[in-house]
Amino acid sequence: MYWKIFLFVLMAFVSIAGITFPIVDKPSVWYEFPFIPGLGENAKIIFFHVPTAWLTVIAFLMSCIYGFRYLKNKNLNDDVKAYVANQLGIIFCILATVTGAVWAKFAWGAFWSWDPRQTSIFALLLIYGAWFALRSSIESEEKRATLSSVYSIIAFVTVPFFIFIMPRIMTGLHPGSADDETSGPIVNFKMNENMLLIFFLSLIAFTILYFWMWNIGYKSILIKEKLQKNIEVVRDSIFNG
Amino acid sequence: MITKSYSLFLKDIKSELRTRYAINALVMFILVAISVILFSIGNEKIQPELTAGLYWVVIFFSAMSGLSRAFVSEEEKGTTLTLQLIASPDTIFSGKLLFNLILTFFINVIITLIYAAFFEGFVINNFVLFLVTFIFGNIGLAISSTIIASIIAKAGSKGTLYPVLSFPVLLPLILTCVQLTIFCFDGTSFANALYELAIVVSYDGIMITVSYLLFDFIWKE
Amino acid sequence: MIQFLTDNAIYIVMIIVLIVWTGIFFYLLGMDRRIKSIENEMKGENNEE
Repeated sequence: MYWKIFLFVLMAFVSIAGITFPIVDKPSVWYEFPFIPGLGENAKIIFFHVPTAWLTVIAFLMSCIYGFRYLKNKNLNDDVKAYVANQLGIIFCILATVTGAVWAKFAWGAFWSWDPRQTSIFALLLIYGAWFALRSSIESEEKRATLSSVYSIIAFVTVPFFIFIMPRIMTGLHPGSADDETSGPIVNFKMNENMLLIFFLSLIAFTILYFWMWNIGYKSILIKEKLQKNIEVVRDSIFNG
Repeated sequence: MITKSYSLFLKDIKSELRTRYAINALVMFILVAISVILFSIGNEKIQPELTAGLYWVVIFFSAMSGLSRAFVSEEEKGTTLTLQLIASPDTIFSGKLLFNLILTFFINVIITLIYAAFFEGFVINNFVLFLVTFIFGNIGLAISSTIIASIIAKAGSKGTLYPVLSFPVLLPLILTCVQLTIFCFDGTSFANALYELAIVVSYDGIMITVSYLLFDFIWKE
Repeated sequence: MIQFLTDNAIYIVMIIVLIVWTGIFFYLLGMDRRIKSIENEMKGENNEE
């Protein structure tokens, strides 16, 4: 129970800090953020956009882990957990893509410019889409669980390649990319301690929120399946005398 | 195991040569795709970057239209159960992979020859690099396509689902190969392209390991 | 107070975001409670059988 109050306070604090703390040239008080050349007020997106992208990856990792567990134990509950993780993952993936594009319009001048990060998130979106397309095409529960588990593992092992190949192929605009000279790798240099602290607090808050939503999601599906099984048992006992 | 997968490969080749359905359809597909590209280009001179991209687009889509047959035909003919009885999953995967490798190399050699003949921008200045890219790129393409084809066959052979599932998995490979092909046009030296080559080779290695590990689960389903 | 808010519109945004977050939070809280009570109920039923 206490962690829910903690989450409420944390998220409220992150929203207050992320929205209202002023950006000044030379921060002197703890609630002032430094001015980052080329980003300015736009830099505040980091508290809300980066966590959604982070959750996309976390959800992908979770579906991979539960896919692996399903293949090992053949327990359909694991498949339900992977399914809910991916459901949340695709929501956060769309949120990250849209918020990133809106921000890019004002920071780079175009909604979409095939920056390495944009391409990576697009690939993730494609993987999520393919995963759900695969699931919807199979009727049998066990078969669906096995094939989607296998697919999420195959897709997961290809993702690290994007990290290595993208910076070589495309020039990066995204803050934090290797050849970004105007705004620099902000996580390392231009962000001061309090900005970094609030950024990590926001990551923690969003992660807790994600796990809470995931918990509610898979429990409700498990209950639904249990009820269906009970109804079938009752129906069988009525019809068979 | 090797003799068994080889005989499985021979069986596939024989049943293919009896009808020549896949080969004929694929060659026609390549011709149609490339002539559409040629018509739309007209007399324009296109840049090497674009030529490299179009080259891999044709390779990707011809692979998508041809490589799913290896497993789908078994499901269609209802011979999956018989195969399960006579051979282990590893053997079957090796046989099918071998067949798909030969098919990939066959269609891609044709595509390359047509490109070399009809595209002005397709001038290879570093032939060794191109050969290495071609070989390792095709191996990666064949491995990923084979494992995804086995998923598709089990999912009820949905034709449209195949490119949808394959594209995200093949995307890193194709992007790297496009980059390497541009290097071949530029005449970049072999040493400068080692980073990209390492990516392609490690992609092949990882995909083949994962495929052999996971094929058991797909096949038994 | 009103004067301060009209001068610094960003604080109004902050208040709105906080209200939205409170709404989402209590919705999730209610959902959590409901799921838990259903789970307990089902456990009780299974024991009776």
